[in-house]
Amino acid sequence: MQRKILEFTNLLRKSGVRVSVAEAIDTFVALDEVSVGDREVFRDALRTTMVKRGDDIPTFDHLFDLYWSAFYDGLRDAFDKAAQSGTDGKGAPIDVEALMRQLRDQLEGMQGSVDLSELAKALLTQDLSRLEQLIRDAAQQSGVGRIENMLQVGFFTRRTMEQMDAEGAGRQLRELAQKLREGGMPDAQVDALMELIERYLEALRQSVRQFTERELQQRNFDYMEKFRRESLLEKSFYNLTEDEIRQMREVVTRLAHRIKNILSIRKRRLKKGKLDLHTMLRRNMAHGGVPFEVVYKQRKKDRPKLVILCDVSSSVANVSRFMLQFVYQLQECFHKIRSFVFVSELGEVTQLFKDLDVNQAIEKALDGGDVINVYTRSNFGHAFHLFWRDYLAAVDDKTTVLVLGDARNNYNDAKAWCLREVHNKAKNVVWLNPESPSAWGFGDSVMDKYLPSVDVAEECRNLRQLSRIVDRLVL
Amino acid sequence: MFESVEDVQKRLGEQSYICDKNIATVVFLAGRLEKPVLVEGPAGVGKTELAKAVAKATGRHLIRLQCYEGLDEAKALYEWEYSKQLLYTQILKEKLSEVMAGATSLREAADRVGQEDSVFFSSRFIVPRPLLAAITADEPNLLLVDEVDKSDPEFEAFLLEVLSDFQVSVPEIGTFAARQKPLVFLTSNDAREMSDALKRRCLHLYIDFPSQELETRILETKVPGVGQRLAEDLVGVMQRLRKLDLKKTPSISETLDWARALLALNGTSLDESLVRDTLNVILKYEGDIKKAHGELGRLIARKAEDEAGKAAAAGAPAPAKKASLH
Repeated sequence: MQRKILEFTNLLRKSGVRVSVAEAIDTFVALDEVSVGDREVFRDALRTTMVKRGDDIPTFDHLFDLYWSAFYDGLRDAFDKAAQSGTDGKGAPIDVEALMRQLRDQLEGMQGSVDLSELAKALLTQDLSRLEQLIRDAAQQSGVGRIENMLQVGFFTRRTMEQMDAEGAGRQLRELAQKLREGGMPDAQVDALMELIERYLEALRQSVRQFTERELQQRNFDYMEKFRRESLLEKSFYNLTEDEIRQMREVVTRLAHRIKNILSIRKRRLKKGKLDLHTMLRRNMAHGGVPFEVVYKQRKKDRPKLVILCDVSSSVANVSRFMLQFVYQLQECFHKIRSFVFVSELGEVTQLFKDLDVNQAIEKALDGGDVINVYTRSNFGHAFHLFWRDYLAAVDDKTTVLVLGDARNNYNDAKAWCLREVHNKAKNVVWLNPESPSAWGFGDSVMDKYLPSVDVAEECRNLRQLSRIVDRLVL
Repeated sequence: MFESVEDVQKRLGEQSYICDKNIATVVFLAGRLEKPVLVEGPAGVGKTELAKAVAKATGRHLIRLQCYEGLDEAKALYEWEYSKQLLYTQILKEKLSEVMAGATSLREAADRVGQEDSVFFSSRFIVPRPLLAAITADEPNLLLVDEVDKSDPEFEAFLLEVLSDFQVSVPEIGTFAARQKPLVFLTSNDAREMSDALKRRCLHLYIDFPSQELETRILETKVPGVGQRLAEDLVGVMQRLRKLDLKKTPSISETLDWARALLALNGTSLDESLVRDTLNVILKYEGDIKKAHGELGRLIARKAEDEAGKAAAAGAPAPAKKASLH
């Protein structure tokens, strides 16, 4: 039992669930307190001591089912079937119980003359838990933990069988049957026994194979899971399926939570001011100058403001969907935030984002949000000019201006001076460009003209890049 | 404290807290292992209620610490009663000058005052806040640290000392160790992830939305006036609502509120107009309500379908009420 739990702990660790040694010890202590017989209670005891994150619970449940039940049940099924399907040479089902009774009597008669290996004994007496242990040990010794793909299942099955000397056990059992025949057991019964032995051996082979396959599944589960997550993080915003969009949304939501956290810490630090001596003396005049009431200087909270300009032209269609999603989440975090979308004209979507839920909002915004025409060619210069003309008042020295776009200007006038003016007024200007820096300034990209007015310009195509940038954005 | 997992279920049931085996197991283990429990889950599934029910079931005194952004040691652990100290120095002024009388140098005077230090930094001037109160209490008690995720990360650091050793250090006095280990419950809405160090010291319990059957039982226990029929209908609609993509998914507390509201309106069965009128009891955002309005027909129509299916399965004619649902 102890070893099985430790093995299970290792399995959890491999799947990315962090289980410390202290927690494993807790598990043992906990299992002393509850009855292990109740499967549900057993599972809950393991879960409460080992798994500490809600996100890990599905992983735990999956592995628990895989590890703690499937195999023993499978083993029982296989042997039950073997026992039931056996027929004595004439097609009548074997009465296993009667046969076993007879066998026991006979064996007692020939004390000492039979020599059976543990495996053979377990097979004959159908001691399934012992059998399970034997298979587990043998599999371990054959190195099944290193299994990597389907093609190796056969190989490890064979090795495990060799390891526990299944062939030897089979031989011993056949010899036993032979001896029984010599000892005067009726032929029909010995035939039935022989038949049964063959079936048991086959069931054993199947079970070992099953065990190996399951092992493969376990090893692969964490591997596949990790692989899936990693690749999702690295994947560019282009070409995403529905399912991936859903997962991405979860990650962005987490990201937004993190920003919220950073914000709250900042707020708290700011709250603690210095001792305000003047006010304190004045307020404590009533107590004869004895400072009963302590007064601190109240510092003003520095709430960051954010203005976002998001390109929704067709060239960045797939990226902007996620950029907009990011914008939407940001809007939930910041109180003072204004969002704009542009292609050539510029339109504000702040209210739109506030009213609608995320999917509708993004659809609407991609459609121009009823404020701009999206079926034109993008013109950054014009959009910046409009922003400068109409919304410059929205920018002050506490404002961060965030531009999301590829700066592909279709050879229009870049009007870099507009952005420069904005930059002069703003706290800082951040530009996230889905194209890599090597492409900036080539072709119709006017990124190079804007760069002098941008404090932070980053390539941002996927979540990993985005999450790195987030820190800089808030600070 | 509790005899067995079943005992937990039974005694919490007596406090009209209906729970599944998972919750009962964790509560049982918490009592046996003397470990804090970190309870996580969506808002309104009864995390705080669990702690209260356990306190009642075990007859322990409940000490509650509500966490919020900016909560610090002075509010959570202990605080020096500054004005009382000051008051004492004012009153004892004469005594102090007596002590200092005859001192020839400033240093000597300071030394003499220094000897009396412990008078002003003793437990007399400490205001115990919930954590210290839980530690120093004579009676066994239950400490509830509510919404621990709302506190700042620094706050976790001194929670650690309390949770692992059940002791509190006050630099000027020394360490207070618990006479009775309190039972500790921490609740979290997952606004931020707690540190691993904290999690390692706790048992973890994740309470999710209850199953239909469990929710019906809870509803019948908590709102006795509600008939079985209405309870089932209500829970059915709630369960379906939770499958929608809502900003704030309604939980058990909303179910209970809704049932009470319907009772107050003398509603005995759910029909579309009644649901429409009372939807704002369970949904707290304009967008959510709009969305639910759109789905309303489906929510209730499906109920009718379910019923029809059930009736067909039972071989009985469909209930007459079904007609009014369309």
